[in-house]
Amino acid sequence: MYHNSSQKKFWTFENEECLEKLRFQSNQKFRAKVRGSGKELKGLDESSFLNPFEEDVLFRHYERRLLEFCANFKPVMPKSVVGTAAMYFRRFYLHNSVMEYHPRIIMLTCAYLACKVDEFNVSSSQFVGNLPETAAGQEKALEQILEYELLLIQQLNFHLVVHNPYRPLEGFLIDLKTRYTTLENPEMLRKTADDFLNRATMTDAGLLCSPSQIALTAVLNSASRAGITMESYLAECLGLKDDKETLCKMIDLMRRIKNLLKKYELPNSDEVNMYKQKLERIHAEFVNTIPTGNTGPSFMEIMPSPQSLAAETFKAMHHHCRS
Amino acid sequence: MVAANMDDQGCPRCKTTKYRNPSLKLMVNVCGHTLCESCVDMLFVRGSGNCVQCDTPLRKSNFRVQLFEDPAVDKEVEIRKKVLKIYNKRDTDFPSLKEYNDYLEQVEDIVFSLTNNIDVENTKRIMEQYQRENRDIIQRNKARLTREQEELEELLLLEQQGSEQRRLETLQEEQRQLLAKKKNKQALLDELESSHLPATLLLAQHKNRAAQLDTQIEMQRQIVKPPVFSTGIPVGQTISLQPVAHLQEALYRYHPLHIETYGPQVPEFEQLGRLGYLNHVRATLPQDVAGGYSSGLACHRAVQDAFSALFLVPH
Repeated sequence: MYHNSSQKKFWTFENEECLEKLRFQSNQKFRAKVRGSGKELKGLDESSFLNPFEEDVLFRHYERRLLEFCANFKPVMPKSVVGTAAMYFRRFYLHNSVMEYHPRIIMLTCAYLACKVDEFNVSSSQFVGNLPETAAGQEKALEQILEYELLLIQQLNFHLVVHNPYRPLEGFLIDLKTRYTTLENPEMLRKTADDFLNRATMTDAGLLCSPSQIALTAVLNSASRAGITMESYLAECLGLKDDKETLCKMIDLMRRIKNLLKKYELPNSDEVNMYKQKLERIHAEFVNTIPTGNTGPSFMEIMPSPQSLAAETFKAMHHHCRS
Repeated sequence: MVAANMDDQGCPRCKTTKYRNPSLKLMVNVCGHTLCESCVDMLFVRGSGNCVQCDTPLRKSNFRVQLFEDPAVDKEVEIRKKVLKIYNKRDTDFPSLKEYNDYLEQVEDIVFSLTNNIDVENTKRIMEQYQRENRDIIQRNKARLTREQEELEELLLLEQQGSEQRRLETLQEEQRQLLAKKKNKQALLDELESSHLPATLLLAQHKNRAAQLDTQIEMQRQIVKPPVFSTGIPVGQTISLQPVAHLQEALYRYHPLHIETYGPQVPEFEQLGRLGYLNHVRATLPQDVAGGYSSGLACHRAVQDAFSALFLVPH
């Protein structure tokens, strides 16, 4: 359950500033790495690095690509798998920079890993069969996915179980139907709430609050859209009648989540193209020269993963996976 | 070790197996290939010939009865015996453990090469060279070995003699005791015949003597009694029959496990039906029930997830 999960312990942060700081730090870390490895100038300098805003634009662009890929996936991918993949993607780029690991591959690796973890059985060939490329291109993509898989697991700190808000939403609908009889047809809330949750996966909401809170916000939001107030639900059924303080805090939190959703902007395609070019240049220039150490293979070369990392990874997975 | 099936091992030439001929004996030669006794007699009637499988020239006298399932093992055992006759240094001959280990490694390498026919010429040369260099040490160790063996034999002999003696002694003791008893009886009869004392007195005397003899025998047996029981408790130690002291400890109290969910209370699983939750989940099909699934499971899980950490707000 979420309340004793690794997601609550390690991957829920206090506010957006914490997240910004982490992303800024990974950006700095990459720059320092390149500087430290003795950069060859070739006409490139500080300005050729991406700044956090540009990284964010690219991140959102590739996130949309990930969600599209999952939406067009054959066989139909369950929502929890999509949510898990998006969460992996988001968590990975909290501690790593897009300049270091290209989001194109990481996005596929996240989806692949999410299928495995959520027990949505898809063979690797079926998986790459969904890519719009030739058979050879698909093979190459699969190779790259398999290379980056261990790196992804390591950067997720082996915390692979992700709690998505979809089941809590179901739980709320059931609870509304059972106990909150003032509302005649809670089913009508489902569609807008679902839509709300899909938009929430594209924000940092999953890293800031518990999935049940996101689901409750979705329900209340869709109710207010339909012109129904559900304050009494909170007070009566959830037992917050007497606990004013918690009630206030909850309402505050839900407002924050709604703001997060409102703030979300579609990435501008011109900007995206510009930053993409920059990104490609960085990958071509810098990523080859950085000594790979034990943080996984560099993007361009196909190197076999170190055996010891593989062995340790799988041992640790058994211990940490189920929490 | 897996027991060899009677049907497995067979002579490669005549294909007779132990199953068909239980008294069949397989013989191994220096090349490592096996032949049954009858084939050996047939092929090596002239005393020497070539191996059937590898064509190496062999002598009949070199055939030994196979002790191991795998003929290669027999071959290696033979080779090892020969090598160790030359390489017979001991751990005391070396100044450090490492050198002794290196020496042992050397020996193993030689045995391995000879067994697997790797570089046989070279290996034989090395052996000869070693033999020449260490001739005196080899001799000394041989002598030592024979001395040790003799010492061992002497010890064994002594032990045997000791046990023999003890056996004889006990036998003699018994004989003596029997004799003494007989004498006593005889003495009684004689006295009854010849003595002037009344019969009852004689009988009493006899009884006394018999009793004395018995105690003597007992005493002799007593000496042999062991001082400890087989469990190690010394004989004669008093085992107190007092009750063991009662250890006072805190009684265990059961506290049901409480996990903080940071949210409203979830209805109990058993109450879901009564409270009406189950009306709003999809009913179970008969196929699902067979596997142990019930709609309450999904319902409970969904509600638990909905309420988990609902009131948790960051500071």
